[in-house]
Amino acid sequence: MTTSDIAVQFEKVSFSYGKLEVISELTTRIPKGEICGVLGANGAGKTTAMRILTGLLKPAKGSVIVLGDQFHRNNLDRIGYMPQLSALYQELSIEENLHFFGRMYGISNKQDRTVAVDKVTSLVDLSDRRRDSVSSLSGGMRQRVSLAVALVHSPELLVLDEPTVGLDPQLRASFWNHFISLANAGITILISSHTMDDANHCHRLIFLQEGRIVADGSPDELRAAVGSSGATLEDAFLHYVLKETQ
Amino acid sequence: MTFDRTLAISNRVIRQIVKDHRSLALIIVAPVVVMSLVGFSLVDQEAILNRIAPALLGVFVLFFTFLLTGVSFLRERSQGTLERLHITPVSRADLLVGYLFGFLLFAMLQSAVILGCTVLILPVSYQGDIWQVFVVLMLLTVVAVSLGILVSTFANNEFQVVQFIPIIIVPQIFLTGVIVPVDSMPLVLEKISAILPLRYAVDMLIGIMLKGGSLLDFGTEIIVLAGFGGIFLIGASLTIRR
Repeated sequence: MTTSDIAVQFEKVSFSYGKLEVISELTTRIPKGEICGVLGANGAGKTTAMRILTGLLKPAKGSVIVLGDQFHRNNLDRIGYMPQLSALYQELSIEENLHFFGRMYGISNKQDRTVAVDKVTSLVDLSDRRRDSVSSLSGGMRQRVSLAVALVHSPELLVLDEPTVGLDPQLRASFWNHFISLANAGITILISSHTMDDANHCHRLIFLQEGRIVADGSPDELRAAVGSSGATLEDAFLHYVLKETQ
Repeated sequence: MTFDRTLAISNRVIRQIVKDHRSLALIIVAPVVVMSLVGFSLVDQEAILNRIAPALLGVFVLFFTFLLTGVSFLRERSQGTLERLHITPVSRADLLVGYLFGFLLFAMLQSAVILGCTVLILPVSYQGDIWQVFVVLMLLTVVAVSLGILVSTFANNEFQVVQFIPIIIVPQIFLTGVIVPVDSMPLVLEKISAILPLRYAVDMLIGIMLKGGSLLDFGTEIIVLAGFGGIFLIGASLTIRR
């Protein structure tokens, strides 16, 4: 794998909140076009890793390379981020939110922005509600708007922090259809989750435990490591976590 | 800094407040109610009302603008939209100037309402030009917006923003000549008053409204007040990513 094939590279990255080390010597490479799931229990360091990747947190040690460059704010228009909170302007309509964030990502031409907004509202199936204020939408719809905001500038790397939390099974399936079609279009997706349903859709999984990578591989490889036929990803996760704690 | 991003942020702040009808109504009604209450309670003591009205104008503009900005900016932080903005290529300058202009419009509206209420509804006599009084209030508004943004970075919720009022706003009311003239205070309080921005605004407001002075007489006060605005803005820019 050459440098140009790598979307994200963590090299011995550590981060602490005060004396509590939440990310410890994290090293991994994520190739372009891959859906990589970061799984772990609450407090395992998933969100911290995502926040380091987007520049919200600065690592105490190590380096992060994103889309071929050391992290730089000028590169943020190549990254789409969907935080755990929907983080939208409640009083504004769906399209006002999307136009606003489109401008923040540098799409200053209104015509270009309108095309981008039309495309993402259609993708998340909210075209008929585009003029409704966010405050009038259901939780699932807000999640879809949040995803649309992350996509409005056609990013090369999509960072999704627990995007399926609180979604019903139908909407969860719909989200995964979007993610798979985006990955097929060459977008790299890094997704954090603690549900094995999400894990089953990923090309590759990283299991985190107390800020350390305890396993890194494809779902099939991780299942195979359990050593019993019919092992699920949940079995694999528990297997690795148990092995780490012993 | 890019003009389009700055404009988009201002535009968005304005749209948000305009769409929140209750907040918009309160921005206009609350200062009128408070100023009218104070004014009409002193309606039979015209001399006192005339003496304190200029200072009260400054106090209310500082208080309401600080509150409007502090709470609005904190809401941006608590609902996660500020964090989302930090993950775009937007710069600190884009953010600060965008918010400043957005909030400034409503703060100007509030100032105009308070000033209008003072000189049109209440029986307050004045000598100087009203437009010059408005210029002073605008300068104070810039200071209050910057201070509101700065303080909101040290608060985790609306309750904490309100707790800053007795620390930051109330001392300015007591120490800047609103109740007792500054030169009648003990020396130590007089010195403290020199580091409070409201003092310079009140000096100008009293000078223009009561003594018929003009802005040209208050070059030092204008520079000091603008300096406070600049310092608060720099402070806000340094803490905005917290």
